[in-house]
Amino acid sequence: MNAPRTKDAAASRLIQWHFSVEPELREVYRIVLDDEGSQEGPIRLLEVNAATVPTGSIEPFGFSPTEEIPFRTVIAEITPEELESLQSHPEALPEGWSLSRAERFVRPKSS
Amino acid sequence: MPASREAWAVAFATQSQSDWQVYGRLAADPQIPACHELHYLQMACEKIAKAYRCRDTTANLDDLLTRHVGFAKFIGSFLVSPSMKEAYRGRDAQLREGAKLARALAREIEKLAPAVDRAGSPENAEYPWEVGEKVISPCEYSYPRLSLLMSAGGRTLLKLLARAIQEFEPPSPA
Repeated sequence: MNAPRTKDAAASRLIQWHFSVEPELREVYRIVLDDEGSQEGPIRLLEVNAATVPTGSIEPFGFSPTEEIPFRTVIAEITPEELESLQSHPEALPEGWSLSRAERFVRPKSS
Repeated sequence: MPASREAWAVAFATQSQSDWQVYGRLAADPQIPACHELHYLQMACEKIAKAYRCRDTTANLDDLLTRHVGFAKFIGSFLVSPSMKEAYRGRDAQLREGAKLARALAREIEKLAPAVDRAGSPENAEYPWEVGEKVISPCEYSYPRLSLLMSAGGRTLLKLLARAIQEFEPPSPA
């Protein structure tokens, strides 16, 4: 499979795959930071997954690039209830993260 | 100058690998009570989660070092990492199937740490706990909720953990 050339295309491919393998994944926020235009800045995803455990905190984990997704990736999972809480307490987001600046992907009806 | 984020990440990954190796040795010896292998398994899990957590460069390092990092949340993120996308290419259904049990078992492993859920799940791998008028020693307990570790789904989780430890790369210096 050809690697996507842009970070946007890689992020989109990764997110679509997440919806296909995670039945409880409701929505994904692609977090946009000031370094988004740089190739070194990671793809950052906040995933709202009913199958994860609520912990009351946001824990992003960083992963290496691969041949197919040639960008660093940072992924954090939260429950739908934790998302609700975040909307009233956005200060709980990691430094620089913002839901209002994020690109939101909802679960495709077919998956 | 304090140690860097990269140095901490490498050290956590290295210690996780060592804990994982000790887990393997203890698990192979049926004479040793299960609590000891599970203690090392829990420590390997917690430390590899911390190592990957250190790769999020927006996180405050002091917070990373002092706060608990959830292994169950780590496994959820690792399951959909680019590395797993390559590893399971063409086998999405298999990944979907294994993920459910892997998440559940990861949460049970996380709870083996005494401080994680003392009220709801006191059965940890280190210290005795109270059940009614009795006090249970970990070395006399059989951990029925973790018996699935030896099932196909459980082995999937152990393979995921081994893979996470093996393929860890330190973060690039900021």
